[in-house]
Amino acid sequence: MQIRRIVPPLLFIAAIILAACSGRNSDRSSDSPKFLQYYRQGEQLYVQHCSNCHQRNGTGLRQVYPPLANSDYMRGNRDEVICMIRYGNAEPLVVNGIQFVQPMPGIPSLTDLEIAQIVTYIYNSWDYEEGIIEVKDVSEVLSACEGREVVGNKKM
Amino acid sequence: MTRLFSYIIFFLLLIAAACSTSRQEEKLPILGERIVEGNDTIYHTIADFQFVDQDSNIVTQETFKDKIYVADFFFTSCRTICPIMKTQMLRVYDSIKSDPEVLLLSHTIDPEYDTVGLLHDYANRLGVSSDKWHFVTGNQEDIFNIAQTSYFATAMADNAEPDGFIHSGAFLLVDKERRIRGKYDGTKDEDVNRLLRDIARLKKEYAN
Repeated sequence: MQIRRIVPPLLFIAAIILAACSGRNSDRSSDSPKFLQYYRQGEQLYVQHCSNCHQRNGTGLRQVYPPLANSDYMRGNRDEVICMIRYGNAEPLVVNGIQFVQPMPGIPSLTDLEIAQIVTYIYNSWDYEEGIIEVKDVSEVLSACEGREVVGNKKM
Repeated sequence: MTRLFSYIIFFLLLIAAACSTSRQEEKLPILGERIVEGNDTIYHTIADFQFVDQDSNIVTQETFKDKIYVADFFFTSCRTICPIMKTQMLRVYDSIKSDPEVLLLSHTIDPEYDTVGLLHDYANRLGVSSDKWHFVTGNQEDIFNIAQTSYFATAMADNAEPDGFIHSGAFLLVDKERRIRGKYDGTKDEDVNRLLRDIARLKKEYAN
């Protein structure tokens, strides 16, 4: 008798929690097939092109390679991150108060779509929840840094 | 019922004892060719060498006298397997940093670019102590040569490779008699776990 009285409110609360969770997801559109496709492709590309230095878990390598996870630089410089994937970076970079000097080689062979997939992956991993970063937005950012010299893996 | 139970426990203990003793007695293999001369067996050993480390100190076989050490080959501008190797070598470093019996030796295979100053900065950025982990540079031919003939590690220039070199990600465990006692894939967690266990096993050989 008592159990019967308790069950309906419990179900109601569970339904609210479920709704709340899925509601948040749909804001991030992380349940959309397109997001998942970007994210999964991006993950593969990340493992192939980025994870050697930045590590699979995004921690980087001490003061040699900067972290992507919990990185103030990542939070504040998304456009620059997009350009850097294609053209690399030879300038010293301060991340979380630490200066990094190892040059990051660019990967000019990556398409706009592939870069969009990588940034969607890294900006929805670890502590980031920025949702899908569409190829049209990435192309726009990339056109602004077009013509930069591609950085190799050694300091000149 | 209780008697059956105690039999089972007895047998389990017996098995456990058998396993632990056999593991203790088993020594690590000695790798490489060996020559038997009469009653003596001559094993493959690491040849004499002379390089310079990140503090501009000369590093030779004397630096590793009465030490167990782990050696590898890398270069700082390598973006393929080296960063993973260094992450793994840091695990080794963390486990042996307060152990006076064990040292680490990383050779650059790109000495032209990896100068003493650059290696110094690299080691500092890894946060490791130079009397524990030597990063050495020197004549490139000497480094390629010792890699191939002493450590059985591949290291050579190759323009077809993205970074201009081809090299193995191997970690080599060397004993106090300069003999190689184990070879591990320095890019694989499980293999480096095996290295950590083997260092402990090798130390036991000298403890007796």
